[in-house]
Amino acid sequence: MADIHKTVLERDLNPYHSFLASFFAGLAEMGMLNQGSINIVSKRAAEYLFAYLEAKDILPDLTQYAESPESERVEAVIDYLNSILSLMGGYHLEQTGPNQLALLIAGKQCRICPKGVGGAAIEGTFCPIPNFIESLVNRITGEETLDLITPGIEKEGSTCKAVYQLS
Amino acid sequence: MVETISDQLNYVLDQFETNVPHVEATAIVSTDGLVIASRLPSGVDEERIGAMGAAILSISHRSGEELERGEMKRVLIEGDQGYIMIRSVGVDAVLVALVGNRVKLGMLFYECKRCVERLSAIL
Repeated sequence: MADIHKTVLERDLNPYHSFLASFFAGLAEMGMLNQGSINIVSKRAAEYLFAYLEAKDILPDLTQYAESPESERVEAVIDYLNSILSLMGGYHLEQTGPNQLALLIAGKQCRICPKGVGGAAIEGTFCPIPNFIESLVNRITGEETLDLITPGIEKEGSTCKAVYQLS
Repeated sequence: MVETISDQLNYVLDQFETNVPHVEATAIVSTDGLVIASRLPSGVDEERIGAMGAAILSISHRSGEELERGEMKRVLIEGDQGYIMIRSVGVDAVLVALVGNRVKLGMLFYECKRCVERLSAIL
């Protein structure tokens, strides 16, 4: 339990973070979830969250970004999503090529990591964020703004990275 | 001309489908459920085949261990309209085949084993 205590404090987790991450982790350890299935599930969750934002009339206002580069509009949406969901303690968006944007999350900044927070003892990656962000950004912007290039998340040292093609 | 790994995998899947009548679709997926190569008819969702195939195999492995049934050899799901056959390819990949119900199971098992050996040699 000592490590869990440390993670809770280090990553500033709320109860939902602990619940979600450990829930995903348990399903993955039983073999019921993998990166492929969490990709599918994340898209479904994005649809539900979009409907929630609509119902509550709290979709982000993007009118001020109408003339801005696509990357700024995307950043505004991700900032907004993170402000309401608190998925990551911090993250960085980086232009990685022509019309390519990378979402970089330093290892200890992710609050819903099934492995780092939920303790999933599994091989490989297992991250809901890349597909969730892709689907929700596309729903909110009303077009295919992002196309995830990486099959899920990729590890670069202790940083997690998802790369998107911008429309 | 050097063939890509993808070409080689597709060739092996092609041979498997040729050798076993009634094989309708095949896919090789990573153990984390992402498709590596596939030969699927239109209307079959590649992403779902990958995710579910790997999950079914993983649960089966886990069940075999927990319930002390030894090393799991294959998973065969029988439905009204055919079978889903799933086998490990080494430690990192999974072969998933959708097969019609008129298949001869002995032929399916035999060719599936050979197919897995060929795929393992490539991967």
